Amino acid sequence: MTAPLLEVSDLSVRFGGDVDALRGVGFALDREESLAVVGESGAGKSTLAHCIVGLIQPPEAAGSVRLNGEELIGASAATLRSVRWRLVAIALQGAPFNPVVPVIDQVAEPLREHGGLSSSRARRRADDLARESLLDPALLRRFPHQLAGGERRKATLAMALALDPAVVILDEPAAGLDPATGRELLDRVHELRRARGFSLIAISHDLPAVARLCERTIVLYAGEVAEAGPTEHVIGRPAHPYTWALVNSYPVTSTTKDLRPIRGEPPDPRAVPSGCPFHPRCTQSETICRDRHPPLERSGGRLVACHFGGLKVLLSATLVHKAFHSGSRRLDALQAVSLTVREGESVGVVGPSGSGKTTLARVIAGDLSPDRGEVILEGERLARSWRRDARALSRRVQLVRQDPWDALSPRLTVAELVREPLDIAGAGDQQRRSAVRARLESVGLPGYGTFLEARVHELSGGQLQRIALARAIAARPKLLVADEPTSMLDASEQARLLVVLRELQVEMGLGLVLVSHDLALVRKVTDRIVVLDAGRVAEEGSSAAVSGRPRSLAARRLMEAARAFAVGDERGASERASGGGTN
Amino acid sequence: MASYVVVVFFLITLNFFLPRALPGAPISALDDPRSETYVGDESSRIAVENYYGLDRQLGDQYTTYLEDLVQGDLGTSIRFNAPVTEVLGDRLPWTLLLVGTALALATGVGMVAGVHSGWRRGRRADKGLLALFLAIDNFPVFFLASIAVFVFAVKLGVFPLSGARTPFSESSGVLAEIADVAYHLALPATVLALQFAAFQYLVMRASMVGELESDYLVLGRAKGLGDRALKYRYAARNALLPSLTVAGLQVGVAVTAAIFVETAFAYPGVGRLMFESVADRDYPVMQGCFLLLSVAVVTANFVVELAYRRLDPRTSP
Ligand code: SF4
Repeated sequence: MTAPLLEVSDLSVRFGGDVDALRGVGFALDREESLAVVGESGAGKSTLAHCIVGLIQPPEAAGSVRLNGEELIGASAATLRSVRWRLVAIALQGAPFNPVVPVIDQVAEPLREHGGLSSSRARRRADDLARESLLDPALLRRFPHQLAGGERRKATLAMALALDPAVVILDEPAAGLDPATGRELLDRVHELRRARGFSLIAISHDLPAVARLCERTIVLYAGEVAEAGPTEHVIGRPAHPYTWALVNSYPVTSTTKDLRPIRGEPPDPRAVPSGCPFHPRCTQSETICRDRHPPLERSGGRLVACHFGGLKVLLSATLVHKAFHSGSRRLDALQAVSLTVREGESVGVVGPSGSGKTTLARVIAGDLSPDRGEVILEGERLARSWRRDARALSRRVQLVRQDPWDALSPRLTVAELVREPLDIAGAGDQQRRSAVRARLESVGLPGYGTFLEARVHELSGGQLQRIALARAIAARPKLLVADEPTSMLDASEQARLLVVLRELQVEMGLGLVLVSHDLALVRKVTDRIVVLDAGRVAEEGSSAAVSGRPRSLAARRLMEAARAFAVGDERGASERASGGGTN
Repeated sequence: MASYVVVVFFLITLNFFLPRALPGAPISALDDPRSETYVGDESSRIAVENYYGLDRQLGDQYTTYLEDLVQGDLGTSIRFNAPVTEVLGDRLPWTLLLVGTALALATGVGMVAGVHSGWRRGRRADKGLLALFLAIDNFPVFFLASIAVFVFAVKLGVFPLSGARTPFSESSGVLAEIADVAYHLALPATVLALQFAAFQYLVMRASMVGELESDYLVLGRAKGLGDRALKYRYAARNALLPSLTVAGLQVGVAVTAAIFVETAFAYPGVGRLMFESVADRDYPVMQGCFLLLSVAVVTANFVVELAYRRLDPRTSP
């Protein structure tokens, strides 16, 4: 087996003695492969790109960058010159040019300098390259400042291709461009790559832009590789908590869910946190995360740097069966239903009435024991028999039941209802009072005055639903199972509660199972949707897929029934009928 | 261009009003027997009176002044009893020769050294050059000139003390004459050039350093260009622009330096003429010198601006 075209191993870069830009980065890239490097700004993406062109050298850089067998770290000026642009060309971030030289001469420069072409032949070749990069050659005659952003980038691309390099690096190829121009450019890169067969490294903080372009993706965080593997795995089903959070913060049409920011601040490169660099922002971190650096290890078809192999599984229910008997009649409420919820994930369970949604909710929350199959919560098997004792409240799973009258004790006041889980958790008195108030206010109820003394029979259904949610949240669960939690609320109250839940997901990595028949609502809140029909899983997939292109009859029916504003929109009706309507 | 014309016109006007408005009215004092600056000589006084038209209205005087100026009449020198234009015409070539030579030398040396120093910022060569030129820059120019005269002319006697050519020498051919002029030029031109060069160097070095971190240099390096191409074609070419701007602003300072150097070496240029006319209270000449030098400064600035526009494509849309 021959060595790969590009091999980066244990690459570290430290600027000015205390700014850690890269720490122990390694990956390989073979001929005709493509690799996306993503991460927040300051994660070390551009530094990595500069290292691959040999622009950063000892003492700043340490480790190894081998291109076609040639070591670039610590290489002589002659070696570097022989490699640059011939073997590896880079389109730098912001598409810089020498401001006082016409663009064409800069595109032609490598052809003259390395290719030995005469000035006029080099210019003619530059025209061809411009055409290949979808740039009008007439524009090449201009000075850099006379070109628009998109034109500059195309010129940069033309320049990068001049010597037909084996590796092309694009640093933020579409940043700042309008979406149409950006897309046109990236599509062109894709075609050129196929036609010319170069290997591509695309660097961006814009995940969706480069994800389309590259087969593999590495995610950098604080100068380290957090996750690396095939793009469909890394971006499609992120494993590392950081990747997951990053993906969730992008507005894309491939998900219908609302955006979630990443909690906390990006790390300071002068003081990268100990252990796992992501631990201050990670919702599932434990002591070990602070103490020990997680190795980059294989997990679920990709490499993940996490002590837990990535996002923890909060809940896994496998092949759950549940039947009810009334007299001699037997009703199979659930048949071989499986469900997983990972850290911070939210899963919708939808289906028509009688499909088994509520039964499933009760089983996974431990409120009912399954006849067969098992339910594992945070690695622990739920006990088969389940008593409604006080300990239930301190559990890490909370159930918000559909019928609040059923769930809330009529003997207790509002304050007591919300405080109960806190009492059990043993918090201080003062602390409890302010927590009660905060919780009530977060669900849009008054946290003071006579309201606190009210009892269940004095309150409306909508108020009770909100109290039930406040009570469940007060216990700080890891998993919240909510069965039609907003059925009695008006639209704006409902929207408010969903925002509260989203914040909890960002802050604590709360897992959410939202049970509802309202697909329009569920698709806004969840990552995945499970469609139940007559006690079986009829369909399961990403929220966008299930709501956009439902495959099962049950899902199609639900989508048809879902609300849409059809005002002044002729297509509204037909779109709903065909199950379309993405936004 | 328009602004240039306006500025020149302003200078011309200033040249008319300033001596009349100065405290003590120096112009009218020439005609006043009680003042110290009274021009005693009858014919000179009449010439002065005629030139300034002291008996007429200010507006009238101004129009006459402009008319005369257009005809190249700047009045008559009291001391030389000759038209000021003629006096200036005699001296101007020498100043042009001196300043031109010094500027050419200085630009060459200062820029090359500045580019080199900036490119190698913080290295040995840079530190050495920086110290040297800083020292020169901090030396008052007349002091430098005096030292040069003392060491090279008085002590060593390798260069002449003063003047622009050997007086009363029988011309023995064009070549010998050129050699004589060059011989006289060497010392003052060098002193002036050192002064200019130090300045050019400092500006160029700073501009160069400013370019070192720029993205286009990173690009050039990534393109595998050699050090020379990066240094000259990329960095220096761009560093030229800011250094040009600053250089334009310094032309005025250069004029002052030229006055000092010409005086120190008794070089028969406009600078020395100005100095002498002040001492002799030869107002017409003084005004002529002032006009010439100030217009020269403005013109130099104008030329620099034109050059800048040619060199920086960003100034044209
Ligand atoms: S769980 Fe620990 S190791 Fe894994 S990403 Fe979070 S902090 Fe890092």
